[in-house]
Amino acid sequence: MRRGRAGSWQRWVGFALLAGLSFLFVLPILWMTTTSFQAGEKMFQLTTEWIPSVWHPENYSNALRHAPFAQYFLNSGIVSLAVMAGNLVFGTLAGYGLAKFRFRGDRLVLVLILSTLMLPLEVTLVPTFLVVHAFDWLNTYQGVVGPLLIDAFGVFLMRQSIISIPADYIEAARIDGAGELRILWRVILPQCKPALAILAIFSFRDSWDQYLWPLTVISVDELRTYPLGLVQFGEDYGNPPTEQMAIAVLATIPVFLLFALLQRSVRQGFGLSGLK
Amino acid sequence: MASSASAGDSLAGGRGVRSRARPWWRLHFQRRIELSGMAFVAPTLLFFAVFKYGPMLWAIGLSFTSYDMVSTPHFVGLENYGNLVTDPVFRVTLVNTLVYVIGSTVLITVVALALALAINTGVPGARHCMTAMFLSNLMPIIAVCLVWRFLLHPFGLVNQLLSPFGFGRIDWLTNSDTAMPAIIAVTVWRFAPYFMVVFLAGLLAIPDEYYEAADLDGAGPLRRFWHITLPQLSPIIFFVVVVSGLLCARIFLMPFIITGGGPGNATRVLSMLVYETGFSYLKMGRAAAISVVLFAIALAFTLGQMRLFARGEENVR
Repeated sequence: MRRGRAGSWQRWVGFALLAGLSFLFVLPILWMTTTSFQAGEKMFQLTTEWIPSVWHPENYSNALRHAPFAQYFLNSGIVSLAVMAGNLVFGTLAGYGLAKFRFRGDRLVLVLILSTLMLPLEVTLVPTFLVVHAFDWLNTYQGVVGPLLIDAFGVFLMRQSIISIPADYIEAARIDGAGELRILWRVILPQCKPALAILAIFSFRDSWDQYLWPLTVISVDELRTYPLGLVQFGEDYGNPPTEQMAIAVLATIPVFLLFALLQRSVRQGFGLSGLK
Repeated sequence: MASSASAGDSLAGGRGVRSRARPWWRLHFQRRIELSGMAFVAPTLLFFAVFKYGPMLWAIGLSFTSYDMVSTPHFVGLENYGNLVTDPVFRVTLVNTLVYVIGSTVLITVVALALALAINTGVPGARHCMTAMFLSNLMPIIAVCLVWRFLLHPFGLVNQLLSPFGFGRIDWLTNSDTAMPAIIAVTVWRFAPYFMVVFLAGLLAIPDEYYEAADLDGAGPLRRFWHITLPQLSPIIFFVVVVSGLLCARIFLMPFIITGGGPGNATRVLSMLVYETGFSYLKMGRAAAISVVLFAIALAFTLGQMRLFARGEENVR
């Protein structure tokens, strides 16, 4: 990396400062984890006990028993995987169409798609609810997934990634008689793995995070996603915050796992390969 | 664009086997490519027509009506907007939203840039520090809200950490002066690491030669930052401001969970008001009118983004 000319003691001071800063970002995550193993009455002591004197792993099993979190997590998983798949498939298709094809109105289409960035669900909440209501999709998985299935972020990301692939590859494949879908699968996709990794992780995280939309379309307990269940769990009298933290830890694991799996590609996709 | 024109030329050459190049065939071939391009984009456009453009037009239409989901909507003209203007809760909420969006956007940009510069100095372990910071951006947002609600409790970790510095017990979330800054701080904690990564990519893309030339001229770190780094990063800074502004304008969960909009209405934002008005009070027309105001704020940020995008395109072509 550049500008590594500073003396070694300066480098170590820099390291200490940076490590301190990153610690500030990790601290709440550590607190959540340690609290999830803590005894309920230790929550609001004047000093935080970072390593529990007595470990309470039963917080996890108790939380899972006190509310149907297994079902909630299953619902969230179904919704998030569907949204991730939708974004990957349609983001790639539209991104390819916009990056490598010229057709009448292609610029307008790009502007139209990008303009949906200013129409998040929070803005169109009422009429989107009415649309889903008209489809008779209230209290269904498709009702939760539907409006989240494609996001302009994915289309734009894939377009930017595909646009740098040389047109010669595509032409060569066409001369060989490959169909357009086959070209996309065999020529384009292998070259945009980093962008696909970024899209996978962010579309999964964003739907895994969704609270407002399920809150609006789901009113039966069996179909609730875990954020709805977790908030309800906190409001119900007698549920200790330590158990709430246990569920929060469980909810964090899938996203961290996905990131760990795709980390290398994500770093490449962000253009951070040069970073030591 | 050049790619499709050259595609046609080389294809004409490549079809040497069919020695007689027929113009109508070639047109057909080009047309087929054009049609497949449209077909790739069509599902997404159709989807957005149903779930974005349609609902937005519907919201504008609804905002001129009174509708409770039971009886049919009836036209009331500008009454919903008129009521909003005179409604003190709406006015407070609008101001809160602007304070929240502007405050968070500025701080996210500054903090993200500072973190990226720190990591880019190349101290040992910089990459691991980056990964550690990025975890806050991956943690489920509901977990972020619940954890910070505890951390900001009067007996919580934040006050514990501040007490050695002579701070008393601050009621972060129940005091109307500190509640909004606290929520902005949580927002920055959550989103700054993402934009740090964006900045870092920008920093890595600045050619080393610029800094070498500056070294030859004897420029100090501050001058290098001011005359090389900042100008080179300016498109990215603009991108970060616009995208984070758009992101903050739609934030619902943080104030909803951490403070519930309180104390009083001190942290109530427009997206919360849309939900409450529409689904707690079933005033769909009025909720739609609030959506339109929220849309206007998002539009201001997006117009900025379009301008940026147009500029970026010139560089690509």
